[in-house]
Amino acid sequence: MMPLLNIINVTKRFGGILAVDNVSLSVNEGEIVGLIGPNGAGKTTLLNLICGIYKPDSGKIEFNGKDITGLPPHKICKLGIGRTYQIPQPFPDMTAILNVAVSVLNRTDSANMSLGDALLEASYYLEFVGLLNKRDILARDLTLWELRKLELARALATSPKLLLIDEVMAGLNPAETLSAVRLIKRAQEEFHVTVLWIEHVMKVIMEAADRVIVLHYGKKIAEGKPDEVVKNERVVEAYLGGKYA
Amino acid sequence: MVKFEFGRSRIVIRYGNSKFEWTIEPRYWRNPLLAVLILLAIPMLIHQQPGMLTLFTIANIYAMIAIPLSWQIIGTGRINFGPQFFVGLGGYTAGLLSIHYGLTPLQTLLIVILVCLVFGLVLSLLTLIAGGLYFSLITLILPLIFLEITFIYGDIFRGESGIGGIAPLISLGSIKLNYLVCCYISLAIALTYMLIVDKIFRSRWGLKMAAINDNEDVARMLGVDVNKYKIVTFTVTSIFIGIAGWFIAHYFTTFSGVTYLPINYLIKLLLAVIIGGRGSIYGALAGAYFITFVEEMVKVFGPIHYVIFPTLLLGLIFILPEGLWGIYRKHKYREYYPSIRIRRR
Repeated sequence: MMPLLNIINVTKRFGGILAVDNVSLSVNEGEIVGLIGPNGAGKTTLLNLICGIYKPDSGKIEFNGKDITGLPPHKICKLGIGRTYQIPQPFPDMTAILNVAVSVLNRTDSANMSLGDALLEASYYLEFVGLLNKRDILARDLTLWELRKLELARALATSPKLLLIDEVMAGLNPAETLSAVRLIKRAQEEFHVTVLWIEHVMKVIMEAADRVIVLHYGKKIAEGKPDEVVKNERVVEAYLGGKYA
Repeated sequence: MVKFEFGRSRIVIRYGNSKFEWTIEPRYWRNPLLAVLILLAIPMLIHQQPGMLTLFTIANIYAMIAIPLSWQIIGTGRINFGPQFFVGLGGYTAGLLSIHYGLTPLQTLLIVILVCLVFGLVLSLLTLIAGGLYFSLITLILPLIFLEITFIYGDIFRGESGIGGIAPLISLGSIKLNYLVCCYISLAIALTYMLIVDKIFRSRWGLKMAAINDNEDVARMLGVDVNKYKIVTFTVTSIFIGIAGWFIAHYFTTFSGVTYLPINYLIKLLLAVIIGGRGSIYGALAGAYFITFVEEMVKVFGPIHYVIFPTLLLGLIFILPEGLWGIYRKHKYREYYPSIRIRRR
């Protein structure tokens, strides 16, 4: 089977810093893939490379059998890659429903959709994440957890095939963490999205992910089933340091 | 037949199967039709005094620039500090063509639109390469360069005295009638701009522009073709502002860069936008009238009015952060309307 996302030998430098070093990975359709690694391992940079915010210095990124290396972000979005941000970045002066309506209006299948229809469609996604009762509240007045849900709704509203999730758990309490995992699982079932998930909370990613990829200093050091990866010597060394491994 | 029903809080007018309802309760008096009718009535009320008519026309000219300017600020997410560049461009194009080639106002209008289209397209690339403060600085310098050019090539542009003898917009025999009709033309242009911008802001394009205004990078990630929107907005608004310059040239039959290109004209335009209400185009219209009449009022204080006028307006910015329109508009966010965000980046 052909992988949905295929990253081949991608390298990205920022001046002298090698942020992503010759990383190759592939994500199959319908999977939840966890991308973990210590701070500064290059996880978010890899996500930005996939989204087209940065261009890779070398290497190739294929999505759905198509070369997307160096395409502008809005075209990559229309091909079917949605993402959420580590620090939520809503449109602060808009209400929640309009935040979602923006992404509904930019889908390829909504070329002639009116604003009213887009709002109707957006309310469906808001209901999915459980924010429908907050639809008329400005995004700048929402709490962190609501913003995370809003970001997810906004990403799902672009009707992505691949959803890139960047640390949804950061700053959430245990109850919210649980419902976030459920929400992402439910999104995967209902919208048939493939998920590439960056996470720091190990417990969560070990339960949720089908496969885990570990980055360290921009290099891929391990890949495999969650329970295999945690036993990997190099992973333990990367997280705890050589002394304790 | 037309039937009237006078309710306690509403008047219902029935004609055949159609029904027109007019709510009398003051908080529902947001009837744009009412505002337009009042605006249309003003020139008729003051048509005996040409001075007042000219003042009203000048206010409309401010509105003709302030309305596209607030659209441009929202649609590109950047504050343009040089809208008067296009006023000068339109005015000089119309004036020089009219004087040297004897073209009629309609012919010069077409050429002004073409010239502004070309310059707007070229300068719209600035919105792609620069943002925030740098964009403001670059656009601030443009009209000043133009002003220098009018002095350097003084034999063409007559930088100090201005070019005179431009064909008047209309000549109907009676001077009073000319003033009145010109006043209505200026009002028509301003209201047309308002109608166009209002329709765009309330449509799906308006929402995308608001997204660009709020956060350009995120808008790009959600699939908005940001560059396309910025180029189109900048070009169209440049044409709109250029038409204001065309009107100025033909209305006063003279045009001088010294009046319209320096920074003090820019400050009045920006204050009209800000005092009206950040980004609200109804506010821009109100702000334009407000600025014109306040400027006229403070002239009773003598030469010190050059100090009083800007001080008063700066004070108003602090007192009314939401602008004049903010007094009137209640916070009803379901009717989304974008407002200007000032970004430093």
